[in-house]
Amino acid sequence: MPDGFHDRFLAAVGGDEAALAPWCAGPAASAGLAVYRNTTAKGAADALAAQFPTVERVVGPAWLAAAAVAHAADHPPRTASLLTYGEAFGGWLTTFPPAADMPFLADLARLDWLWTGAHLAADAPPLEATALARLTPESFARYRLVLHPATRFAGFDDGAPSLWQALQPPGDPPADLELGDAPEGLVFVRPGLDIDHRVIGAGTLAFLAGCGAGESLAAAAMDALAAEPGLDLSTVFAGLVAAGAFTELRTLS
Amino acid sequence: MTQPLTAGVSLKPQHYADALACRAEGLWFEAHPENYMAAGGPRLAWLDAIARDKPISLHGVGLSLAADEAPDEDHLAALKRLVDRYQPALVSEHLAWSMRRGVYAPDLLPFPRTQAALARIADNVDRMQEVLGRRVLIENPSLYLPLEGHDLGEVAFLAALSRRTGCGLLVDVNNVFVSAHNLGFSAEAYLDALPAEAVGEIHLAGHAPDANADLLIDTHGAPVAEAVWRLYGRLIARIGQRPTLIERDDDIPAFQDLMAERERAHALLTRETVDA
Repeated sequence: MPDGFHDRFLAAVGGDEAALAPWCAGPAASAGLAVYRNTTAKGAADALAAQFPTVERVVGPAWLAAAAVAHAADHPPRTASLLTYGEAFGGWLTTFPPAADMPFLADLARLDWLWTGAHLAADAPPLEATALARLTPESFARYRLVLHPATRFAGFDDGAPSLWQALQPPGDPPADLELGDAPEGLVFVRPGLDIDHRVIGAGTLAFLAGCGAGESLAAAAMDALAAEPGLDLSTVFAGLVAAGAFTELRTLS
Repeated sequence: MTQPLTAGVSLKPQHYADALACRAEGLWFEAHPENYMAAGGPRLAWLDAIARDKPISLHGVGLSLAADEAPDEDHLAALKRLVDRYQPALVSEHLAWSMRRGVYAPDLLPFPRTQAALARIADNVDRMQEVLGRRVLIENPSLYLPLEGHDLGEVAFLAALSRRTGCGLLVDVNNVFVSAHNLGFSAEAYLDALPAEAVGEIHLAGHAPDANADLLIDTHGAPVAEAVWRLYGRLIARIGQRPTLIERDDDIPAFQDLMAERERAHALLTRETVDA
């Protein structure tokens, strides 16, 4: 027998059945290889469907399964844990011709992916509001807020976050998928075991991004006001703390 | 855990609350470690809670022990963290491969059972047991492809692997039934030839006919077939009680339905114990 069974087997599953001829050939080989071909494709498709439930709600299981098979050819899984498989799917959808008439689909996938990130992130206690008692406006430059490990957020050029929210169970998906023109952001928080999400504006998004980049509270607040002049920062701040978006108030060194 | 393990069921996220509340005697739960390789969050919290008062088995599907290369060290390290965290009663993997040059094929793939493969896989099982610091069980996969070039039959290969590495065997009776149908051998003769002392766990699951060829597919998406129950009875009559899993991964029924199948295995196992 020649060497390289494993590579030849994968070539045969990929369609080059002659590659496996020293070990098996004929109709029984074709039938058996078809089983492995189907199981492997189903494994990647099931993993992707589990990862992108909002996309599945829009396009249905059959469409998503077909997309998953095509996606897996370009981006096969790299680890045996499929919990984090699908990072490239949102971007890939923008290149997938059958998705061309659903320009919002890639953003829904990106939001599903952020949800997965929040779901799997490390545990940590959320920052208690009482910890903020020592803060005064004058001390903002000396402190920074550390994001909770599960906090995930992103901004979009349109209303994809509101559309994503409207598609969440247990309610029925909306009959018309309306995409607003105004830019929106979405933040996911997981202070305990349950994930919560809320649509946010450009100022809140900039504040979170500043905190995530390690900026002082003063600098993050400046970013927020620059992005959204007139923003009521104290309300935004209190709301994020109450939601569990942070884990620690740290003195800047 | 002083209570002996009798029959267990696959642990599925939609059954977490039922699993936590269930008080059946001898019950245990089996989980795929690949589904818990996360930094934190609700999955780990549920498994923490369930593992506090029920025995857990970690049944790996992705270590790729039958690859032509060493197991992925990152994957092994992640598995080790779960073994340390949950102190499972049982840890198992498959006589199959799925990783090749850094790409994962989500399946349990076959190989020619040569002496060279035996040496390679024994090294891989040694490495797994060394990292985990414990004995593991190796499961017979479902086979669909008639391959030339085997030096050893599957039973002889598994027995030799067990002798070389000290690993135990996880006998999936449904896989034996499916493989026997697909490749044309006797399931009874296969089970009768297994080294009884090496068997540490048994799996029972459902299968379905292939849509295109005269093959049975190990779907884990249906109740255990009567023919598989008969083979199971034959096996435990010979080798005695072993922890037995009702394995279900697709078309997941209500927890009570899974438990009804589990009670049947539990009854067979406890009867066997009394007789012995």
